[in-house]
Amino acid sequence: MIRRLGAGLAVLWAAATASYAALLLAPGDTVDILVGDGPDTPEIRAGIVAEWGLDRPEIVQYLSYLWRLLHGDLGRSYQQQRGVGEILAGQIGPTAQLTLAAAATGVVLAGLIAIGTAGRGRWPRAVASAAELVSVSVPPFLIGIVLLSVFSFSLGWFPVSGADGPAALVLPALALGLPVAGVLGQVLRGGLERALEQPFAVTARARGLTERALVARHALRHALIPAVTLAGWFTGALLGGAVITEVLFGRPGLGQVAMQAVTGQDMPVVMAVVLLSAVVYVTVSTLLDLAYRVIDPRIRG
Amino acid sequence: MKRILPALLLTLAACGAQPVQTARTTSLTWAVETQPITLNPQLWAQNKARLLVFNQFDALLSKAADGSFGPWLATAWTVSDDGLTYTLDLRDDVTFHDGTAFDAAAVKANLDQFLVPGYNPSVAAIQLRSFDEAEVVSPHRLRITLKEPDALFLDFLASPLAGQVSPKSLKGAEDLKFGGPDLVGTGPFILERYVQGQEIHYRRNPAYAWPPAGAAHQGPAHLSEITYRFLPEAAVRVGALTSGQVQVIEGVPATEVALIEKDPELTLRTALNSGTAYSYYFNTSHAPFDDRRVREAFREAVDLDAVLRSVYQGTATRAWSIVGSESPFYDPSLENTYGGDVAGANALLDAAGWKERDAEGFRVKDGERLTVREVASAPFVRDRRDILAQAIQAQVKQNAGIDFQVKILDQGSAQQAVDDDAYEVFGNSRGDSDAGAALNLILPEGAAINRTRFADPDLDKWLAAASASSGQAERKELYARAQRAAVTDHAVVFPLYVPADQIAASKNVQGLGFDPASGTPASAYDVRIGT
Repeated sequence: MIRRLGAGLAVLWAAATASYAALLLAPGDTVDILVGDGPDTPEIRAGIVAEWGLDRPEIVQYLSYLWRLLHGDLGRSYQQQRGVGEILAGQIGPTAQLTLAAAATGVVLAGLIAIGTAGRGRWPRAVASAAELVSVSVPPFLIGIVLLSVFSFSLGWFPVSGADGPAALVLPALALGLPVAGVLGQVLRGGLERALEQPFAVTARARGLTERALVARHALRHALIPAVTLAGWFTGALLGGAVITEVLFGRPGLGQVAMQAVTGQDMPVVMAVVLLSAVVYVTVSTLLDLAYRVIDPRIRG
Repeated sequence: MKRILPALLLTLAACGAQPVQTARTTSLTWAVETQPITLNPQLWAQNKARLLVFNQFDALLSKAADGSFGPWLATAWTVSDDGLTYTLDLRDDVTFHDGTAFDAAAVKANLDQFLVPGYNPSVAAIQLRSFDEAEVVSPHRLRITLKEPDALFLDFLASPLAGQVSPKSLKGAEDLKFGGPDLVGTGPFILERYVQGQEIHYRRNPAYAWPPAGAAHQGPAHLSEITYRFLPEAAVRVGALTSGQVQVIEGVPATEVALIEKDPELTLRTALNSGTAYSYYFNTSHAPFDDRRVREAFREAVDLDAVLRSVYQGTATRAWSIVGSESPFYDPSLENTYGGDVAGANALLDAAGWKERDAEGFRVKDGERLTVREVASAPFVRDRRDILAQAIQAQVKQNAGIDFQVKILDQGSAQQAVDDDAYEVFGNSRGDSDAGAALNLILPEGAAINRTRFADPDLDKWLAAASASSGQAERKELYARAQRAAVTDHAVVFPLYVPADQIAASKNVQGLGFDPASGTPASAYDVRIGT
């Protein structure tokens, strides 16, 4: 456990350093970025250099960046001229809501479809498989636009924008959750079908277990291992997808903050979002390692 | 119904439920494309966010479409004969949203704020370059002294940058540079909340009685509340409007215009922006655009009307000068003086020595292909300008054998290309409310965004004279000369189209319009619901 914690911290340090190095290596210097396409005179440049302490050696800037980070100070946004921590604090809630709702949508849909169709003849499987393929291969942006034009613009069931209340969460969560459901559903069904061919399934059937009970009590546990491994992947997919989904639906959240920061080259904000994603990733993969032990007793041994 | 209403109101009043006046709450939701990066008017830099500024703040002067100035928080102003002393007489009945009084000391505090190092280096270096000091003469009279005459100073006093902020909140605001509900002004609306990525919400300032000259009504705003929703995706904005979830949107792309115009429940308004047209500036510092004939040939090789029609479906207005046609300084004599002469383009290139062709049909001289590169910074590519560049690329290739390469890069790489002089075409438009301010940045030798790297001492002299002159007619003549030099004599620029703003709204929303100074959507002060 302590080793995992150490490894996690190492990943965070690496993420912080990598994002810092990327900033240094990126073409154009920080002053260029801050000047943007606005007026550009030596006086303006000097003012910017003085304001952000850019005249110090790079290693000093790096160390002071790490030092501030250790104290929980994420710096100030170039673009918005206020604390990065303050900007992110207001945006974590909506993103957490969205990604959790999308994850839940994805998992529940995948589970229902997989359990409903595994080993149930050709047609249901073909239909489910086609639906999964579509949801995986259609870009989330297009899924979002289609959902919006049908359920918001035409039917008027759900509002287009904002994060007020559950109704506004339905469409974004679906748009973000459907691709997850697609991949997860395929893996889960494949795992279930393999499990149902195992000798233990034959034994269980011989004991007189119904097919449903067999799936629920025995096969599901076997099928879960590959699916849980995928959960690491879909954490990334959800965080990445949140960028598109939030911008499309006009929702507040980290995704649109990241989008605005990247287009505006607002590096302190970009670096903070990278760090935060790393924290989430490390946490999720640690939790998954623990989950394996619960699901598969062999790993515990 | 007409008879029932007063009865209802009486009943309501009798119940003591609500005073009659506040029962008339009207609110509106307006979907906008761009989020403000700051709510502090003194740091404002986005034309797309201009419509928000004058909800919360008032400037000292107002500006009309013909470039003349009118009263706002200042009722009168005089400029000394040497152009160095400005005396402003201020309204004496104005209060900030925090209850403090607006007076000459407040204006002085606002001007002095710009002198704080690092506060707004850009404004300190450009707009307030010549500002010396402000002096309170009497409670409502202020004297401003300049170091040198500056014709653009009045334009500054009428810009969002001169939005008056309560001195108390300049000292006490938690995030001075970002602004927010604790950075208050005197405007017709009071900022209630800003939720990044979602919306900005204002409520009416009931005490408001000081609209700018040119406003359609007096007294407080019609709307009791207004919410601006941020919907960056154009199709989503249009969908939200057609389904009635918002009542107004701005930023209607050419591809959606037909849909809005077809809908009998919706109205569409368009206005051309002031400032400069979207133009290609030719880099004259090296081959091939160091040769005037090649620059001219590039312009002649493009059938711009056809290109604009296909890219913008008839919604774009062709530009003939650097200065947009809405600006009082526009020189209409440039119209139809160049462009679209394919035979002429080829003759010019032959004469310039680009005679041979390579296997792909591009012109070649001394083994070098006739290649010109545009390097654009992705965050600033908007308005289908990437598609426009592709259409021009096809035309110059087909009509004249010019290899026009379009590179859309991250901002750092684009800046690198500028630093390394590794570009031949630079696309730019500016939204300055005084086109002269833009010309000062673009044309003089070594100016802040002089990407043509072109220098003409005469032109620099005219621009300097225009900046120092306060006579509108004299400035117009000098700027016309500058435009003719850049467009006709030296052909360093290829004006393409005049940027425009669009507002689409439900039929029952009235009073929508454009800020005459900028051509961008106006604030919500005159907006009302009803017929």
